[in-house]
Amino acid sequence: MSDSKRNLAIRYGLVFVVMFVIIAPFYWIYSSSLKESSEIVAQAPSLVPQSITLDHYANLLSSSDYPIYLTNSVVVSVATMAITVVLSTSAAYGLYRLPFPGRKTLYRLILLAYIFPGSLLLIPLYVMLSNLKLLDSQVALIVVNVTFAAPFSVWLLKAFFASIPFELEEASALDGANWLQTLLLIVVPLASPGVASVAIFAFITSWTEYMFASVLIVSDANRTLPVGLAGIIGQYVIDWGLLLAGAGATTLPIILLFVLIGRFFVRGLLEGGVKA
Amino acid sequence: MIAKFVRITIFIALLVMAWLPLQAQDAVEIVIWHMEQPPQRVERVQGLIDEFNAANPGIVVSQDVQSWGDIYTKAPASVVAGNAPDILFAIPDFTPIIRELGAVQAVDDFVAEIDETHGYFDVGIEPYTSDGHVWAIPLWNMAHAIWYNIDDFAEAGIEEPATWDEWASAAEALTGDGRYGIGVPANRNLYTDQVVYNFMINAGASDIYNDDGSLRFNNEHTVRALDFYGMLSQFSPPDSPSWAWGEAEVCLGSGTCAMVNQFAFLRSYEANGGDPANLGVMAMPVDAGVEDPGTISYVNAAMILTDDAAKQEAAYEFLRFIFQPDNYGLFLNMEPGLFLPITESGFESETYWSDPLVVKYREQLETVLDYSRSGRLFGFTGGQTFPSIARISAQNLLSQVGQLVVVDGMGAADAVAEGEYLMMEAIE
Repeated sequence: MSDSKRNLAIRYGLVFVVMFVIIAPFYWIYSSSLKESSEIVAQAPSLVPQSITLDHYANLLSSSDYPIYLTNSVVVSVATMAITVVLSTSAAYGLYRLPFPGRKTLYRLILLAYIFPGSLLLIPLYVMLSNLKLLDSQVALIVVNVTFAAPFSVWLLKAFFASIPFELEEASALDGANWLQTLLLIVVPLASPGVASVAIFAFITSWTEYMFASVLIVSDANRTLPVGLAGIIGQYVIDWGLLLAGAGATTLPIILLFVLIGRFFVRGLLEGGVKA
Repeated sequence: MIAKFVRITIFIALLVMAWLPLQAQDAVEIVIWHMEQPPQRVERVQGLIDEFNAANPGIVVSQDVQSWGDIYTKAPASVVAGNAPDILFAIPDFTPIIRELGAVQAVDDFVAEIDETHGYFDVGIEPYTSDGHVWAIPLWNMAHAIWYNIDDFAEAGIEEPATWDEWASAAEALTGDGRYGIGVPANRNLYTDQVVYNFMINAGASDIYNDDGSLRFNNEHTVRALDFYGMLSQFSPPDSPSWAWGEAEVCLGSGTCAMVNQFAFLRSYEANGGDPANLGVMAMPVDAGVEDPGTISYVNAAMILTDDAAKQEAAYEFLRFIFQPDNYGLFLNMEPGLFLPITESGFESETYWSDPLVVKYREQLETVLDYSRSGRLFGFTGGQTFPSIARISAQNLLSQVGQLVVVDGMGAADAVAEGEYLMMEAIE
């Protein structure tokens, strides 16, 4: 075997190993969620389902509030994503493109908000949101999620905004564009991979957030997927089929999101890494 | 015509305005927080609430379902923020945490009333009694037992072991060919806490505290319990150090384990295609010379947090309704087998014994019910309750000692000494 063929074989081998590590857990969740309960817990696990059933998914939809949790998660995640994109893009533009005194100090300070462990803020936030009558509402989760997602997003956008030549802004100013037009028509399109990364980051952060959602939400009607799913599993007595169906149905939207726009996220992270 | 319309409108408005305050005054709203999240439990509780609300127009009860994982943070926060529920379900080591915030009402009179009317079992009230008062209303009991595969025992010609020597021999004989005699957990979690304490009880080390509140964890009986625990772990599956309740149940149900230490898990055993004729249950074997064997049990209860007299009375009225035997049977069977009656009248409830799953596994359930009478919980024995147990429990220190023995290979005596040191640090 020639060197080039050997290298190719090694490369494919490595790709296969990495793909296996990534895909195997998903395969196991989805294939097991289609098995009969007795097959799920069988002593000798079956790689391919011997008995296909959709009972667990039917059970998930009929006996739990999964549709409500899903709706709440979508509302909170989309709102978090939209607000984070608007806020972080505006903030990043101001911080990295507009000169003002203390600019450098401010953009370093903004990351301070990110270094506080969320658990430290849990009780104060609970009391604060309770005083504002926002407890047990999706607004509370959106506020908290944006608070935690925005600082990192601003920092993430720095590399993209820094890479855009100032001459373009000057040219748009000469053409009579105001700062908002410059931002929306010139800067944001050029930084679109970064903006997409921020959008996906904010969405995933919100979609998977558990701690605040579990404490700030009291009623079932406002619960999001991670918390709702944890609830239907049970503690001492576990319905494995329901658990697997819930896990599968919860990760599916994220998988679809990545299939559709994941390349922007990866590109955004890579470019953010090299342009700084 | 217009004047007539205006007069009628004003008249109706006055009627509505007069009626609204009356309604507001009459309808007492009671919010319950409980941690029974699986859908069928929520549905069963809601059914009972609906029935109660229909029969009691002056009271509106509603449930908000929380999780055990979050309630230790959420409940204190809600008390501090002033929006705590009126009734909060509890286990014994959760009660002191809320009591420290001054939010729990003493319920001596009501518990005495239920005791007189329905007859509490002896294990019911003690875990919630301290400083001369009862702080929660016992609702049901949950008890561990040793569950085993009858066929495995028959195949190996083994009878139910009664002593630790017999138990060790049985576990060894049942291990081989990819099967394991017993599942011994070593994860740092509540499940391992429970199993370790079960060994302690049956080694004569039930009491963690002396009468004066000092620790007595480090004693020869605890060392004996942990030593035996470590020895038995050699007959346990390699993944058992990472187990919680669900994995133990699967190990038994799949036939990988011949024995596990668990609460009753009838619903999932049945759902996973388990055979009732193959499901055995027995008391944990006892170490030689131990005179007071038993099992770990969790009496679940309801704390009354509201200090409003009208709300308290409404809460009691709802709980009286729950304790009526027919309702109580339905209430317990939100999770058949797992939730055991804590009252004599509940034990005899027709609705309790007529649940299809209970009918199917009646024999096993009777054994567990009988065994649950000897139930106890770490930190709540000897007629005294020490609130600092909440801190020991919260850090899963019993399971940490088990982990030191099983995973780290530390000698039992050293592990127990380390455990007492960690407990002292936790409660100081």
